[in-house]
Amino acid sequence: MVGLPYDCLANPLGAVRFTFEKAVAAGADPAALNGKDWGAGDLFRDVLFDQGALSQVPILNAKNIGHVQPNTLVRFRGMIQDMLGNEFYAGVYKDGSSWRTNKYRDVSQFPMGSSPDMHIWERHLLYCIQVPGLNPWADTSSGTVVARPVEQTSPHGEKRRRADKEDIDQMDVETSEDGIQRSSGVKKLREDGHPSQNLQLLESVAGSTGFGSCTMPRDEGDSLSCLIKVYDSSDSELKLNDVFEFIGVLTFDSEYQVDNDEFLDGFSEDMLASLPLNKVPRLHCLIHRKLAAHDFLQSTPLELKPHLVKEVRQTLLSHLTAVLGNDGLAAHLVLLHLLSRVHARIDNFAVGKLSFNLTCFNKESVSIFGNQLTLAIKDLLPFSHIVPLTVDYLNAASLAPKKDYERNRLVSGLMQLPEGTHLTIDETQLEAGTLNSVGVENARLLKYLSEYQKVEYDFKYYKMEMAADFQLLVLSEGKSTILPADLVIPFRPSSVASGEAVAAETLEAWRWYLATVRSLSHSIDSDMQKVVENDLVAARQANRNLSSQDLSRLLTMGRLMSLSFGETSLSLEHWQMVKELERLRWERLA
Amino acid sequence: MYVWGTNISVQDVNAAIVRFLRNFMEGPTQADSIEEGKYMRELDRVFEVEREWIDIDAQDIFSYDQDLYNKMVRYPLEVLAIFEIVLMDMASTRNPLFEKHIQARIFNLRTSTCMRNLNPSDIEKMVSLKGMIIRCSSVIPEIREAVFKCLICGYYSDPVRVERGRISEPKRCMKEECATKNSMTLVHNRCSFADKQIVRLQETPDEIPEGGTPHTVSLLMHDKLVDAGKPGDRVEITGIYRAMSVRVAPTQRTVKSLFKTYIDCLHIKKTNNSRMQADDPMEVENSYNGSEDVTFDEQMVQKLKDLSKKSDIYDRLTKSLAPNIWELEDVKKGLLCQLFGGNALKLASGATFRGDINILLVGDPGTSKSQLLQYIHKLSPRGIYTSGRGSSAVGLTAYVTKDPETGETVLESGALVLSDKGICCIDEFDKMSESARSMLHEVMEQQTVSIAKAGIIASLNARTSVLACANPSGSRYNPRLSVIDNIHLPPTLLSRFDLIYLILDKPDEQMDRRLAKHIVALHFEDIESVQQDVLDLSTLTAYVSYARKHIQPQLSDEAAEELTRGYVEMRRRGNFPGSSKKVITATPRQIESLIRLSEALARIRFSEWVEKRDVMEAFRLLEVAMQQSATDHSTGTIDMDLITTGVSASERMRRDNLAAATRNVIMEKMQIGGPSMRLMELLDELKKQSSLGEVHLSDLRNAVATLTTEGFVAILGDTVKRV
Repeated sequence: MVGLPYDCLANPLGAVRFTFEKAVAAGADPAALNGKDWGAGDLFRDVLFDQGALSQVPILNAKNIGHVQPNTLVRFRGMIQDMLGNEFYAGVYKDGSSWRTNKYRDVSQFPMGSSPDMHIWERHLLYCIQVPGLNPWADTSSGTVVARPVEQTSPHGEKRRRADKEDIDQMDVETSEDGIQRSSGVKKLREDGHPSQNLQLLESVAGSTGFGSCTMPRDEGDSLSCLIKVYDSSDSELKLNDVFEFIGVLTFDSEYQVDNDEFLDGFSEDMLASLPLNKVPRLHCLIHRKLAAHDFLQSTPLELKPHLVKEVRQTLLSHLTAVLGNDGLAAHLVLLHLLSRVHARIDNFAVGKLSFNLTCFNKESVSIFGNQLTLAIKDLLPFSHIVPLTVDYLNAASLAPKKDYERNRLVSGLMQLPEGTHLTIDETQLEAGTLNSVGVENARLLKYLSEYQKVEYDFKYYKMEMAADFQLLVLSEGKSTILPADLVIPFRPSSVASGEAVAAETLEAWRWYLATVRSLSHSIDSDMQKVVENDLVAARQANRNLSSQDLSRLLTMGRLMSLSFGETSLSLEHWQMVKELERLRWERLA
Repeated sequence: MYVWGTNISVQDVNAAIVRFLRNFMEGPTQADSIEEGKYMRELDRVFEVEREWIDIDAQDIFSYDQDLYNKMVRYPLEVLAIFEIVLMDMASTRNPLFEKHIQARIFNLRTSTCMRNLNPSDIEKMVSLKGMIIRCSSVIPEIREAVFKCLICGYYSDPVRVERGRISEPKRCMKEECATKNSMTLVHNRCSFADKQIVRLQETPDEIPEGGTPHTVSLLMHDKLVDAGKPGDRVEITGIYRAMSVRVAPTQRTVKSLFKTYIDCLHIKKTNNSRMQADDPMEVENSYNGSEDVTFDEQMVQKLKDLSKKSDIYDRLTKSLAPNIWELEDVKKGLLCQLFGGNALKLASGATFRGDINILLVGDPGTSKSQLLQYIHKLSPRGIYTSGRGSSAVGLTAYVTKDPETGETVLESGALVLSDKGICCIDEFDKMSESARSMLHEVMEQQTVSIAKAGIIASLNARTSVLACANPSGSRYNPRLSVIDNIHLPPTLLSRFDLIYLILDKPDEQMDRRLAKHIVALHFEDIESVQQDVLDLSTLTAYVSYARKHIQPQLSDEAAEELTRGYVEMRRRGNFPGSSKKVITATPRQIESLIRLSEALARIRFSEWVEKRDVMEAFRLLEVAMQQSATDHSTGTIDMDLITTGVSASERMRRDNLAAATRNVIMEKMQIGGPSMRLMELLDELKKQSSLGEVHLSDLRNAVATLTTEGFVAILGDTVKRV
């Protein structure tokens, strides 16, 4: 890697210019480079991924934003919250006799006259926010990777890089230590928070609005949002509510102001004005990649081996059982629930969802077990969210995202969450009261979400359905009618859980397990298919009240059961297990 | 002289435009026609009403001069400028007194761009976009001509025109005696202004790809176009896509490289095609002149016609209707007929016959009735969905309220009036209050809602199809009760439904097996392979709309004959001696229903004639709906054993044989009016005949029942009597 005349990390624009000039020198027609990568992307991909420089790129967050130098390479992990359409800019132009490009920058370095040699190109604007409901363990950016000490471009790139590397290595160590500390912190909280005998505490918890952190509509204060400018990509690649990592050039030019006395004064100040530069940095994206659950894992992924999967499954199951006060059946079902995802949509029917309703909670037991369960889930899944369902909450919360035509922005609602988010809905707090129109709308939205896994976005003149994939867990006293769940079971704890400490590696293994197993594909062989069909027919003959939803749920459970063993096709053994679970569940319901 | 940067000659374009305006004619033209061109007449009209613009259909330009069309789309600024010069010339020669400036407004471009696909190559081109107006700015007065006044001597300058968006203020007084420097000031009330408005247009929902948010674009409206649309309108606009570089304050060193884009709007047309086309032929006759309707482009029409020629189109459409709802084929067929509808007739005498088909679904819980309702609601034009429990009589029809502000009494429309020419879906029909239900009588036959209260006497149109669903009176169908007792709705109302479907959930292994297969496939197989041959929702909607609009089938003689024959038979069956009021008998309403159904069936095939097979299918639908084939006409109950359609041919044969054998035995053993015979004795007799194989008592009962309907025997409890 000797001989690069620029530093990719500290001076990415230099690299861009270099590759551009190289491409032009090689005879490429600058005008024809529109929408194409002339080698800059490849270069960065090579440096970042193949040479492993990625870890040296700082991840932007609210804390380090003040320290990162503009025009350097940064990373931003976020969810696409809104798409602001396209922006036209002067792509290439001639400065004297040489061609220049404005790609990956906001302002041009050289004066450009309105010559015919100027070509207009376009780029997409995406408004991204930090992933809502991101759990602390998955938040790699929170203060762990310090902004790189900024120097001016050093001629001794290599030397510095080595020094940096050591630096980073050290930091990595810190990171992992920090991770452990944090998780033990969580544990401490768990231990402290709910000593079951401590009545005083119990009361205080019960008195407040349910448990833990209920996130009210996102305030943009402490979280960072970012305006991403994406080049050369098709719309189909980047979708609303997807979680992406963007690597690109940070521009943070406070001087740069939009001149507003232009003729479109009617409402041209719209979106840019609502995104003040000191709060919302611009990132010119060089590389973007979609993040899946296992991208949030700290350690390197393990290999998928049957015995390993079984072992992890067993420990996780016993952990869940302990959390749920020795209710083995509920623990089993929770495990299946945590693995569920919508894997196909046929018309309105979301195949694969498994919403879960634990009933027989009261205010006391929810403060013990509900809390423990949500904390456990928080530790296991990258995104989770708690909704305390009260009349006031329903009347006040803005769940569905709404289009604000004044600002021409999509105003985020609480239900604008990335795919795979786990939602715990605590219905035990719900008391009799009157719902206003907002409340009715919100209740309807939740019901619709639970039935079809879709959220209706409010565009004022019409509603637009957006597919969602949330794992819904409902805690309620009786069977929830607001949120009809696929799987209902009365909760029967037999002991109070001891908040046993969980080793960091174990936690990490569980996370890995859930992330990996969940994304496996699944099939059924023809013999097994016959068995399943016969069983379904027999079940329906025996009980006429079984609807197709019930049968569908059985199949979903079968699929998840075999996935939980890391297997990709349904076996008789697992099918029997599901039938047994279902039998036990009916027994308990009766 | 050439247009700058191109090889377009101004003179050529000028000549082409003159040719087009003078000579373009609609329809086939005779070479020696002395008639004036379409646009010359148009121009005369402009003079008459003193308009400032002339609308020009781009399709006309294309059909007259393709080259001119292409030039116009590619270099709209230049070509339009020439257009206006030509128009001014013509105006001055034809009507020297006409002083207004005439603008050419082009509309109806051949291709319409998707907002999402606007890209830098479209800049300075003429584009046509569809979208929805989401915001309008206030009207901005834009200066056209400015007049200045000298503060020293009071001299008024000549009007100064806007050049390149700027007005240059005179540096010194123009009056020679004065000539003071920097003394000129703008006189507002002597300047002329033009209206300007900025409108934001947003993509229509159907153009947004999955996982995307709608794009928006700004439109610049001038003069008469200002306030032509209001937020929420769906419009199609034609305009010139412009980009403008964002200026930076001169003090700044850096140069911005951004461009703002907007569309200079030339023409705006309101459209409304969010739902299935609601226009009925009746409407067209009355007041509409089809100005707002959606025209199907030729490609689509061809596609639909091709589809209609397929022999299995009826089945295919059935399959496409709510494909995720399992089975219920015949119900879906009925709903399909409802969507297509029959012909509404209006006689010269003023009597009207509705074309709308009303359907009632009665069925056991959990038979996806509600899903079907939801689906139809989504698909139908102006569908309204209500639930019986939550609807009141006035909520359904219309009610009179006092306006809180003015205190006037005003009429507010209810669900049925709102769904005029659509389908009103009423769930939980049985849970509706008696009074609310009684309001439906008028709506369902006369298709109007009459109101007489608080000084308002009105009759509102409610030409709506009603799709209702209800549970049997005992929440589950009770096979021991008659159909009427199970449905438990007033017969007057029942007779207004064309089709009453009994959806019974009967234990049937075959059905369960298919259901199981379906669900397994749903979970484990490729979705593609599961649903094939199914039309997507938009095609289905287009198909239905097109048929409703363009196909008006008429009864063929053959079909009419079949109708009469079938109806007479139905009457006869209903009047069978011994049948009590418990059976739904055929009334003249039924024959109307049958006509509507057969018309709908013909429409499905895009056929202008109702054929015999349509009538036969209509009869079949009517029978299947009520499970009449399985109804015991003497008691009105449904024989649950007969409900399954899965009676095989051999089984039927066996039954026929048994019936024949029974008849023989009875002929042998009994006399007319003679002593009766117990069923068990009959059974013993039959068992002696080895050819029949095993005979069960239930089989025998069926056989005797068949004979009863023939009027051969009478059955009293367990004994049979020959009559």
